[in-house]
Amino acid sequence: MSLAELKRDMEGCSRCSHCKWTPHLQIKSWRFAKGCPSVDRYNFHAYSGGGKLNMANSILDQRSELTDAVAEVVYRCQLCGACQVACQAYRDDIDLADVLLEFRATCVQEGFVLPEHLDMIESMKREDNTVGMLKADRGVWAEGLDLPDINRQQVEVLFHAGCRYSYDEDLRGIVRTGIRLLRDAGMDVGIAGREEGCCGGRAYEVGYQGEMKNYAEDMASRVRASGCKTLITPCSDCYYTFKYLFPKTGQGLDVKVLHITECLDSLIKGGVIKPEREVPLKVTYHDPCHLGRRGEIYKEWHGEDKLMRPVKYKQTGKLGIFEPPRDILKGIPGITLVEMERIREYSWCCGAGGGVLEAEPEFSAWAAKDRLEEAKDTGAHALVTACPWCERVFNDTVLETGDELKVYDVIELLRLSVEGE
Amino acid sequence: MLECKVLTREVYEALEGVLGPENVSQEPAILDSYAWQPAVNLAKEAWIYRPAAVVLPQTVEEVQQLVRMCNEHKVKYKAHSTGWASWGGPGEEGVLQLDLRRMNRIIEIDEKNMFAVVEPYVCCSQLQAEAMKRGLNCHIIGAGPNTSQLASVTAGWGYGWTGLATSYSGRNPLGVEWVLPDGELLRLGSPGSESGWFCGDGPGPSLRGIMRGWGGSQGGLGVFTKCAVKLYPWPNGPAQVNVKGVLADATTEDVPSTHKLYYLFSPSYEKFGDLAYEIGNAEIGYIHCKGAVGAMFGLLAPRAMRKLLASPATRAILKGFQHMTLFMIAAHTEREFAYQEKVLRKIVDRTDSYILDNSHLPVHGGFWWGVNRSVFPAMAFRPGGAFITSLGSSAEYDCCVRQAKIGEKIKQEHIDKGTFFDDMADCTWGGIYEGTSNWGHLEEIAMFDRRREDQTEEGRTAYLQATTDVSIKNALGFGLSALEHKMYLKHGPIMHDYHRWQAKIKAAFDPNNASDGSHYIPPIDELEKEIEGTNGS
Amino acid sequence: MVKIEDLAKIVGKKQVFTGEQERSAYKDDASFVGGKMPQCVVRPRNTEEVQKIVRLANDTHSALVPCSSKGPRTRGDTVPAVDDAVIVDLSGMDAIVRIDKRNKVAMVEPGVSFGALQEAAQGEGLRVAMPLAPRRTKSVVGSLLEREPTTMPKYHWDMSDPMCCIEVIFGTGDLFRTGAAAGPGTLEEQWASGQAQKSPMGPSQTDWAKVIQGAQGTMGIVTWASVKLELMPRIEKAFFVGARELDALIEFTFSIQRAKLPDQCLILNRVDLSAILGEGAVKELPPWVLFYTISGYEHFPEERVDYIEKDIGELAAATGLSPGEGVNGTSAQKFLSLVEKPSEEPYWKSRPAGGFQDIFFLTTLDKAPGFIRLMEAEAGKHGVSEEGLGVYLQPIQQGRACHVEFTLMVDPADADQVTTVEKLWQAAGESLSDGGAFFSRPYGSWSDLAYSKCPDTVAALRKVKGILDPKGVMNPGKLCF
Repeated sequence: MSLAELKRDMEGCSRCSHCKWTPHLQIKSWRFAKGCPSVDRYNFHAYSGGGKLNMANSILDQRSELTDAVAEVVYRCQLCGACQVACQAYRDDIDLADVLLEFRATCVQEGFVLPEHLDMIESMKREDNTVGMLKADRGVWAEGLDLPDINRQQVEVLFHAGCRYSYDEDLRGIVRTGIRLLRDAGMDVGIAGREEGCCGGRAYEVGYQGEMKNYAEDMASRVRASGCKTLITPCSDCYYTFKYLFPKTGQGLDVKVLHITECLDSLIKGGVIKPEREVPLKVTYHDPCHLGRRGEIYKEWHGEDKLMRPVKYKQTGKLGIFEPPRDILKGIPGITLVEMERIREYSWCCGAGGGVLEAEPEFSAWAAKDRLEEAKDTGAHALVTACPWCERVFNDTVLETGDELKVYDVIELLRLSVEGE
Repeated sequence: MLECKVLTREVYEALEGVLGPENVSQEPAILDSYAWQPAVNLAKEAWIYRPAAVVLPQTVEEVQQLVRMCNEHKVKYKAHSTGWASWGGPGEEGVLQLDLRRMNRIIEIDEKNMFAVVEPYVCCSQLQAEAMKRGLNCHIIGAGPNTSQLASVTAGWGYGWTGLATSYSGRNPLGVEWVLPDGELLRLGSPGSESGWFCGDGPGPSLRGIMRGWGGSQGGLGVFTKCAVKLYPWPNGPAQVNVKGVLADATTEDVPSTHKLYYLFSPSYEKFGDLAYEIGNAEIGYIHCKGAVGAMFGLLAPRAMRKLLASPATRAILKGFQHMTLFMIAAHTEREFAYQEKVLRKIVDRTDSYILDNSHLPVHGGFWWGVNRSVFPAMAFRPGGAFITSLGSSAEYDCCVRQAKIGEKIKQEHIDKGTFFDDMADCTWGGIYEGTSNWGHLEEIAMFDRRREDQTEEGRTAYLQATTDVSIKNALGFGLSALEHKMYLKHGPIMHDYHRWQAKIKAAFDPNNASDGSHYIPPIDELEKEIEGTNGS
Repeated sequence: MVKIEDLAKIVGKKQVFTGEQERSAYKDDASFVGGKMPQCVVRPRNTEEVQKIVRLANDTHSALVPCSSKGPRTRGDTVPAVDDAVIVDLSGMDAIVRIDKRNKVAMVEPGVSFGALQEAAQGEGLRVAMPLAPRRTKSVVGSLLEREPTTMPKYHWDMSDPMCCIEVIFGTGDLFRTGAAAGPGTLEEQWASGQAQKSPMGPSQTDWAKVIQGAQGTMGIVTWASVKLELMPRIEKAFFVGARELDALIEFTFSIQRAKLPDQCLILNRVDLSAILGEGAVKELPPWVLFYTISGYEHFPEERVDYIEKDIGELAAATGLSPGEGVNGTSAQKFLSLVEKPSEEPYWKSRPAGGFQDIFFLTTLDKAPGFIRLMEAEAGKHGVSEEGLGVYLQPIQQGRACHVEFTLMVDPADADQVTTVEKLWQAAGESLSDGGAFFSRPYGSWSDLAYSKCPDTVAALRKVKGILDPKGVMNPGKLCF
């Protein structure tokens, strides 16, 4: 797809600014009414989803051209999808998220790239990961767990850790616990270890669409080689890549794809995992963008006129993963779950996505701070989520601010209830 | 590339000096994001004039500085709040766009005396959410909760679903803080006398009458930086509504037992009108608004609309529901609710109408919340991405009904010509306002897709002319189309030259003609030349 | 100066009055505002004559002072501030042009009194929201133009209510109609299309009616106004709530206003209450009394009254108050009968002492007690006793603001008393203004008080004056002009 193919979408923009706000029926306060970190931080209308549509349209109409300043606007965006949810709440003919992705790709094609993104792409090419670490060390996170190696044997379930979980030592405990819970529940689950490669989703997001193709092929062959029927990942970004980006680019994997929370929830409901110990804690849950609204399965539709596209084919974000993490938390004795105002498909972004953590860490932290304020406003003592990128940025921000709010992954709290301290 | 008038280096740097470089831009693509204005715009293209630069002030002092600079350097300026609709943007080249996004505070909410003081970028949802926590509500204009409360109250116009309970936007301002076109600061009413914000009138004559009339100055008379707005009771309403879903899929179980939304169907427009009068006289209700079958399909099921309306039999059946009233009771107590419902049923019976009460169904909650938050009207963009409105003068309801009947006829002619989407010419919207007043409005909304070659600018313009001409010929009041497209040249001479008087205000308050008056009026000497030019041609 | 014969050509000789006695009646009024002797008094009979008078004034640079009410006038706004002004007395234009029952609106000329309008409206099953027992000679149009508060705050949506549209001759001599009356179409054409000149806004992007209101005749002369009417209730039940302390009464008033329960709703101290009742025995009344009514209309009127009475009962219980149909033997229903029409003679404010002076301003109801304390302190300083001070609190704009009115009872024949009261009036005005009272209707020397606080408003008003009355013929010397 190219930007020009989406011109009709751009021309449909009614300049209503819904893309800047939480969907209005959900607004419960002045403080937490904003939906878009980009325009909330930088204020010019161009920073909003609609504003980027207008800029792209202007360029296609040859009224203006792509410049460093325009690219800066384009890249200062987590691609969190909040704008699309708000827009598609009532519009049928505008696929905002597609326009934003194609705008990125156009920037890259025209040579407007950020050095930090370039570094990331280089890291992916050299070492198969986005975080600048050695490929050789990719499997270190699983040492001592004695997990089946899919390079040597076939498994029912392939566990894809993802780059962040593979290398981030602070978060290591979470991914190790996650897979242990699955294994101990009797699942035939294996890993690719050091042979696991990046899903490539981040490359696509920062505009290197062609790069993701390679990783998708690599992933597909790994899945085939493993013989698995199910692919599970604890990483929300990877989940989104497998469920949405791969099928969108015609590279869908022929296996069931689950996020680990879906799996754990199912095992709990089936009585296989028993969270029996009390974990007395008041928590609030942060819906990761890539697990929630962006984790919605890609809906394929081909037609001329999007006004005639049936509603069920709109990527409204409603089919993302919202209940399983919540059900896990509700099933843990002692946990009180209170909700923030901006949740589910209209959740506020942690700030990390879309290459922003890499290229604009200050903006990333700014968005995270806003989310932490919202969490504290509920009276919760802990913010729980299900995404390593969200956890990274929330942990870093809490450290910086000295907040007493704790940050957990769902898996950590489940482990406490299953295994104790 | 589009070449447009830009600011001089000197002026641009001076702006950066006031606001900081991060709050000023003249990047063409960024400017074009301000030039895309499809709403209230009949043109083939939605592009309006590109601003010469855009600035983001945060304080009234900064706004004053900017305005003074514009006066000094002979640069026109146009301020907007949320900036939705073409009047928010430049009306010519070389205009400085003031985006008031950073002025977004609720300064105070006086719960006891039922008003709030807001800055321009407080949207109606935000204000309503905070008001509800205090058992209060605010007026939200039909365009939706994404609009600026301050903008519609000071500088725009605004009918709304809850007009029966929350009046009309232009009747809701109290004290106002106003940067005049020349940069001087004027505080209307009690804030000007350091007496609080509760009154916008006086001492002596009320300058609120200069600030706005039925319509506001739409950016042509300076910048409004704070406004006290009336809040209204939210009878027994929840402090917060817990909703599942985001819009058409919304459901809630938080509908209070003393609130209910009804659908009333009358056999004719005359009975529909009688029903409205009876409601006004009985002093019941919180929402009274015409429902429209065509609109319901167009907004909620546009694809289905195209298929259903292809069948004459289906059309005939649907037409039978055309004279629909959306009516809501919101009572403080169960007793009050019981009384109001009893009266409603009697009135409905008396006007040969009938009630549909679906309050026992899940759909009731979502619709109740949607109309109270005024979220549905934006869906008029759904069928094609654009719509226009017409007629809809503020008038006694019998006259409104007359407008509706005539408007639908004219619209059907234009639907038949292919100018608008077919909604059975049934997208009339409006109700009665202010409790017992029995004045209200009914506007005719027409949906189109400017991306389609067959739905033309000429067609839309012809429709607007036709509805304007019929308003004049049949004395149907000063409608919504009369505020735009230099209609003052047509209306002014037959309405006591109101346009000349208005132009004198413009000249007196904007001596340098710095405030972009493209959606207001030119100063009197320019207007006279315009009139002369029109008469000569 | 205008030539008398030129005026006579316009209105006819019989409508021009040049005798000293006739002119003296307009030179002063009952206020402290001293006036200048007018050149003459002219009584036009229709809009055309008014327009010609204004044009003549422009041609001859003569001052015009319009007045609508018959005397005794009390505010000082119709007292000429310059020599040789022409009084344009509109009291003879007293036609009720139209009452539209379906749309509940009347169109009246300036000379129509509340009594006349109430009677005509009643005949159609309607009533007009009135100020508190106005004097019999008070003009409806005059009252509307002065933005006098009415006693039914629930119908008071905007400060301009219940005024709707006006026909006005601007100070330039141009005729203008405001609101829906502006057109398109003649009044007859508008009536034929179902209109009734009720919507007050516009035309277009200006509300000239708001500028004419409160202008004390300095911008133009109104030749008719439309005023909204309300249904006459089938039942109207009246209540008093007496209290020693004002605070609980105010809390209660807030709560019943918020629920939009009462029709009439106002608070009086016993001095004012007793004056209206005309019964003396002030001391037997509670210091403060809230008066309100609840109504039933066409449909199930008794049930309406019943549910409201119960709802109010619950609100009252929460504040420890007890509404009753009377207080200390005084019937609220009787009080209603006195205030739902103009005051009987003598005008109620004159009853205690023979004369009175008012001080009034706007604030919010919660701040009223503070202003009352200020006023009492000033009264004390000047040796004016409680018995000589009436207090009236009128919630307006559906409870969002409050008109506070102090009435100083004074015997006009007692020169010392008059001097004392004048000093008190002056001092209290300053003290109240310093305390934040908003003199939105700045009569006499209140103009200086009010406008000294808002030079920005003054500058803007002068621009407006420059548009509507560039030659300054309209009531020169008033307000800030």
